[in-house]
This record gives sequence, structure tokens and C-alpha cells, in this order.
Amino acid sequence: MSLPTDVLAGPVGVDTGAPLARANPVAKLAVAAVLGLALVLTTDLVTVAVALAGVLLALPFAGLGPRALWRRGWVVVVAAVPSGVFTALLGVDSGDVVWAWSVGGATLLDVTTGSLQSGLAIALRILAIGLPGVVLLATTDPTDLADSLAQDLHLPHRFVLAGLAGMRLFGVLAEEWQVLTQARRARGLGGGGRWSRLRTLGGQLFALLVLAVRRATVLSTAMEARGFGAVRERTWARRSRFTARDWAVVLGGVALAVLATTVGVLAGTWRLALVG
Amino acid sequence: MPVTNDTTDTTDHGTRAATGTRRPVPTAKVVVGLVAAVLAGVAVQLVGLPSGPTLFGTDLADLTTPVALFVALLLGSAVGVAGARAPWRVVDIVVASVLGVAGGLLFAVWNAFAYPVVSATVVPPVSAWYVGVWLLPGVLGGLVIRKPGAAVYTELVAAVLSALIGSSWGFSVVWYGLLQGLGAELVLAVFLYRWFRLPVALLAGAGAGLVVGLLDTFVYYPELTVPVQLAYIGLSIVSGVVVAGLGAWALTRALARTGALAPLRSGRDAERV
Repeated sequence: MSLPTDVLAGPVGVDTGAPLARANPVAKLAVAAVLGLALVLTTDLVTVAVALAGVLLALPFAGLGPRALWRRGWVVVVAAVPSGVFTALLGVDSGDVVWAWSVGGATLLDVTTGSLQSGLAIALRILAIGLPGVVLLATTDPTDLADSLAQDLHLPHRFVLAGLAGMRLFGVLAEEWQVLTQARRARGLGGGGRWSRLRTLGGQLFALLVLAVRRATVLSTAMEARGFGAVRERTWARRSRFTARDWAVVLGGVALAVLATTVGVLAGTWRLALVG
Repeated sequence: MPVTNDTTDTTDHGTRAATGTRRPVPTAKVVVGLVAAVLAGVAVQLVGLPSGPTLFGTDLADLTTPVALFVALLLGSAVGVAGARAPWRVVDIVVASVLGVAGGLLFAVWNAFAYPVVSATVVPPVSAWYVGVWLLPGVLGGLVIRKPGAAVYTELVAAVLSALIGSSWGFSVVWYGLLQGLGAELVLAVFLYRWFRLPVALLAGAGAGLVVGLLDTFVYYPELTVPVQLAYIGLSIVSGVVVAGLGAWALTRALARTGALAPLRSGRDAERV
């Protein structure tokens, strides 16, 4: 298994003309943030189900085909299922016992109707929190996101651009790892038992870190020589615009969060998580 | 800063200027601010919180002391950030970014190869022992760069890269990164960005560990029983202290010894005469 090195590659297998895919990256970020916050506050099945239904209704407008959705989205499913299972097994019990595991008369694990319901709510909640993020990641070019963060959200541009430059170094670091491995092999390192190999690996990781820091200092000198960070207001090669359509996307996210919370409160199931 | 070429000059000032270990003294305003923060914490402790609502199954009134400590910490760190007169240079920003990228690489390798193995063998609350791995870049960035916001920025870059590569948590790692970095940052700010020795590093790891313990409890395990939740948070703090605090401190020292940190404040401290 190898790690992807093209972390700055744009969206793959996505209809970039779709309304939500075309929206400003900061607008998508805002929707993901608002929905996440609304759902972290509560754990009830009603609120979570309404929010998840809203997200699923919006999915067709994101331009994600089933394959693109699965490519990015399976990870959320993987996170949701174990948490739901743990909650069903270890959660606070109420109602009838559905299944129990006892050793010598002491019940170690049991699933009740109450804990089963909260397990389901936890799993759906992680899905509803995670899916807007999946859409954001799958439909957004990281370079566009950086442009939008600096120009529309007015985050400090030196940090945003240096962060982006750092991401570009990721592929370079992977190459340097190869060079380091070859250099160490040429010196006869890396053999021996498991422990000696682990120690060599640690030394190689540290060498990579030293190389990365040295490269960063050289890079910063080069960037400064070209005038990076010299001015407070900078000009942009790629303009990012936040239009009325982007505001509509943000409002849609806020409306869904408010709707889900209202339905939960009206149904009497909404309660602040961890506060009894 | 006058640097003399006279090698016989061994006065305090001359030696300090040459080795660059001068540590600015806190100004009167900062000291007053810190005292005010401590007084605010004491005031919360004396007045007490209302009893009635419960958190983690505990009456709110019984949580007065932790809340008082938190208020003092928050105000103290605000004073620390406001009092730190240390603008970021380009080299600080780029080195912090690259440390963040290295942290993202660590996350990617850990998430792809080690995490599936360890997560299959333990369940919460024992599963909290390895959360410190995800806290390392933030504490490392704070210790190496020594500027306000360094811990948050480094951890955030690492988290964004982790999200771009892809992990079982998708985009939520970005929020986690932001808040975990903030946990370490608060501690460094309380020490006014002037002290970065081992105890401060361990406390920064503890701050980040507390944040990740609380976050995991809120997001993934809100319906577990209270003892399990408290054990999870406690173990997260221990993991943050050992893996992130001690680990980042040792890494910073080792990095400084190689001379790679020479353009930074942390590198200058490590230079030997």
C-alpha cells in the first residue's frame, strides 16, 4: 500500500458544473462547519435523522457520481459503524435486554433497546457530520480553497500561501525518502533483526525531518528574495469571488441546521450532549 | 544589540548577546494581567457555580475547581498572546508549514499502517493510549517556532494534509486539528511564550490531550457511561503528556543539535559556546 503524493490534485470524477461543486470553497466549508456544530450539540435520533435526510437530498446537486462519492465517502462509513457498535455494547442501558454476554454470572456486555437506539443515533450522526466534509474534499481544488481562504475569508495570506507551498513539498519529501533509503542501503544500514531495523527506520525518519527543516529555511530565503511577505496587501493571479449564489449555499446549510434542531426540540428528544 | 569583538569581554551582557540566549523580562502590564487572570480564577472558586444542571453526571457545583482553573488558564493565555511582541518572519511561517507537512506525513503513515492494527485490539477507554500521536505536530511546532499561534498553525496544516490524503475521519480531522493545537497553544501562552523547557512541553501535551479526550467523548462516545468517559479523558491526557509532550521536547532538542534550527529562536537557545 502506498500513500498518494498528489495531494493537490483537483477533483476527480466530479461534474464540476454542478451547483454545489461550483460553489465557493469557503461557502462549502461554512455549511460543513454549521451542520457539524448543530449535530455535535445533540445525540438524539430525530435531529440527526432530519439533518442526514437534508444532506442526502442535497447530494445529487454536488455533482458526485456514485463512484466518486464512494471513493471519498467510504471512510466516513468506516468511522460511523464501530462507534455505533461500541455505544450499543457499552452505552447506558435502558429498556429490554436484546443480547447479553455473561461470564460466570457477571454480565460483561449487553445490548438493550435503549443502547441499540443510541448506537444507531451515533452512527447516523457521524454520517451526517462527515458527509458535508466529503462533498467539500471531493469537489474542491485545494489551490482554490487557499485562494478563497485568503481573499474571501481574509485569513493572513502569508500563512495560507506558505501552507499551500508546504503541501507542494509533500511529493518532494516522498522522493527524498527514496534517496535516503538508497543512501542508507549503500552504507550497509537497515539489515539485522527487527529491532535494529526499527532503530534504523527511526534514524531515517529523523534525517527526513532535518532535511525538511533545512529545505524550509532555504525556501523561505528564496521566497523573501522574490518579495514574499514584504507587503501587507498583495495582488492575486487568481481572483476568488463570493457571489449571491454562494450566500444561498451558506443559508441553505444554516436553514437545515435550524430545521433539524427545531424538529428535535419540538419532538422533545433534543437535549444538550453530556449535560443531564 | 551591541556585539563586541573583544573576546575578553565576559560581562553578562556581552556573553548573552553573543550566544543569543537573552530572555526578555515580562513587562509590568503582562504581570498585572497574569495576576488578574489568577484573581478571576480565585473569584470563580469563591463564588461557586450553581447546583442543579449536571455535566458528565456530576453536579455543576462540584465542577467549580476545574472551571476556575480553566477560567484562569484562558485569561492567562489571552494575556500571554497580547503581551508577546514577536511578529512572525517568513522563515518562521515556512518552517512551521513544513513541520506541519511532516506531521501530516506522520498521520498518513500512522492512519494507514499502525492505526488499523492497534484500533482492532483495544476498545474505549483503553483506546485513548495512542491519541498522543495525533498531538505531536502541534506541540513540536510550538516548541520549535516559539511564536503565538505556532502550535495551532502547525497542527492545522498537519490535519489539512491528513484530510487531503484521506483517513477514516474525512474532513472532521481539520476541526480536531484546530482544537488540539489550541489545547497546546493555551499552555504555551500562559507561560508567555518565554519558557519552553521540559515541564512546559509536558503541560502543553497535557492540554492537547485534554482537548482530544473531551472531543472524542462529545463526538464518538457521548452515550457511554460516565466512568468510561472519564477514564478515556484521563488516558488521553497521559498519552498527550508522554507521546506529544515528551516526544516533541526530545525531537526539538535533537533538531536543535543538528543546527537545522539555527535561524529560529529555539535553535539559538541550543547553541553552545
